[in-house]
Amino acid sequence: MIAKWLGKRVIMGTIVLIIVSFLSFFMMHAAPGNPATAYYGGNAQTLTTGEKERIEQAFGLDKPVLFQYGTWLGEALQGNLGYSAKEGRPVSTILLERLPNTLQLIVLTLFLVTITSIWLGLQAGMKEGSLLDRGLSIFSIASSAIPPFWLGILFIMVFSITLGWLPSSGMNDVRGDGGLVDRLYHMVLPLTVLVISHVGIFARFLQDSVKVENHSYYVQVARANGVSEREIRSMILRNAVIPYINYVGVTIPSFFGGSIVVETLFSWSGLGQLLVKSVMVKDFPVLMGAILIIGVVVVICLFIIDVLMICLNPRLRRGGFV
Amino acid sequence: MEVLSNKGGDHIFKIENVAVHLNGKYLIHDVSFTVPKGQITAVIGESGSGKSTTLSALLGMLPAQAVMEGSILFNERNLMELSEQERAGLRKKHFFTIFQDATNSFSPTLKIKQQLYRLTASRLGQKEEAFLGKITAILKDLNLPEDVLNRYPFELSGGMLQRCMLACAFYNEPDVLMADEPTSALDMLHQQEFIKLLKNLHARLGATIILITHDLGVAAIADSMIVMKNGEIVEAGQVAEIFKEPKHPYTKRLVANHF
Ligand SMILES: Nc1ncnc2c1ncn2[C@@H]1O[C@H](COP(=O)(O)OP(=O)(O)O)[C@@H](O)[C@H]1O
Ligand SMILES: [Mg+2]
Repeated sequence: MIAKWLGKRVIMGTIVLIIVSFLSFFMMHAAPGNPATAYYGGNAQTLTTGEKERIEQAFGLDKPVLFQYGTWLGEALQGNLGYSAKEGRPVSTILLERLPNTLQLIVLTLFLVTITSIWLGLQAGMKEGSLLDRGLSIFSIASSAIPPFWLGILFIMVFSITLGWLPSSGMNDVRGDGGLVDRLYHMVLPLTVLVISHVGIFARFLQDSVKVENHSYYVQVARANGVSEREIRSMILRNAVIPYINYVGVTIPSFFGGSIVVETLFSWSGLGQLLVKSVMVKDFPVLMGAILIIGVVVVICLFIIDVLMICLNPRLRRGGFV
Repeated sequence: MEVLSNKGGDHIFKIENVAVHLNGKYLIHDVSFTVPKGQITAVIGESGSGKSTTLSALLGMLPAQAVMEGSILFNERNLMELSEQERAGLRKKHFFTIFQDATNSFSPTLKIKQQLYRLTASRLGQKEEAFLGKITAILKDLNLPEDVLNRYPFELSGGMLQRCMLACAFYNEPDVLMADEPTSALDMLHQQEFIKLLKNLHARLGATIILITHDLGVAAIADSMIVMKNGEIVEAGQVAEIFKEPKHPYTKRLVANHF
């Protein structure tokens, strides 16, 4: 039964990835500009028509787009993501170099955001009408209205330029030993921006679902029968966390969106920054590879969320939905 | 109005001129009655007549914005003078309450075992081992299979869940058992079974029972009875007397429809 369910999930994930890659491929080709000429940068103007045609042939750009996509997909399904002419290296090497950097950022963000928002949301939701309850609602709206880009620039101006406390770019000090402490030190600002721009909405979500649970029938029954507030709180959290985890799942793609902005701003060499760079120079193989690998990570995250949901919700576990 | 249900004067609750209003509207009004110790008192009345509000007043669990007037004496202690904490203490030590909707009375994600533990042994400060032995015996008495303890609420029927609540009452041996329409969400068969078990509990524990219902058939097991309409008590007395000779037109109609 589990094998069948797993198989279904893998097929679904693959279909999602194919659709995403298909859309990306076509949007990429619909955008103005041409990778062959972009490859030559400023010299592109000096190329003759014949030279241009030969370069396009070499890149395979003379074929219909659908055919090009088919070729790319066929190779990708066999694990070959192509070669970056711009970088002179295989795409997979470039991606593998950058993937851990993005994962570090996102996993830490997710960890801090969930821990903080669950704690805040529970405190606030249990004390309806309190200062914390109202304060958190306001903070949530305010923090989600601030663009991460703007917040990042503000942080760089205050903490890097004015105060000089924290580095504004890079992942390690060039003179340093590249150790963990140095990495974390460089991560403080990008991480803070990502956490602040997500934690408010997450806390607000839990706060609301804690309130709903707090007014539910079984809680009234428990209170009427003198069950301790500590036990009631644990029941409430246990139930409120289910829609919350679902919401985290829905929001995971937006963490990657946020990391594109933050990585670019703080020169963090992750996939987000790579994505932006490859769009600029029209490095199609790298761009497609980056989109694909982010897609794979998102699909895996959603799978983990699904497993979590099944663990948390006895109805899914025992109701035969698996 | 004057209530004569307990001439001996040995009552556990004495409710005097209680009114509850919420946002300028009276939910109940001029409610006075006594609850004789060790007897079953039925509160009967149509939907919206103020039965549940009366119960909430006894439990000290009215909505936060509600304002209450009058006095409620429990064992001669005025509940109005107690702090929120002391009231919670009363609910824990002396009362147990069963509500109408058994299927929603339990948290959906916790096994019955943990929930029954929280509703019984935990509030009395007992360890889980002692709890398991005692609750298993009670469940058996109530015709519940032992494996309900390892089930989730959605895996049990309303009738079974209501019997689980009753099991808690057997376990806790409260001074006062309150039940707010405990059978109206059950089918006929389970209704009769539940009422039988409730009588059984009363015989065994001698607890005072306040039984809210809109069903005269259920009220028939009570000793005395209070009839409510539009937030007021319209009639009160011994069940046998009211059945024989109802005074208020509303009660007359109820009794006429029942027999
Ligand atoms: N929380 C509440 N807010 C507003 N009105 C309420 C609330 N609870 C009960 N009422 C009103 O109080 C009256 C009595 O309700 P209730 O005590 O629940 O009656 P019963 O239990 O007899 O059906 C009804 O008119 C009902 O609409
Ligand atoms: Mg009611």
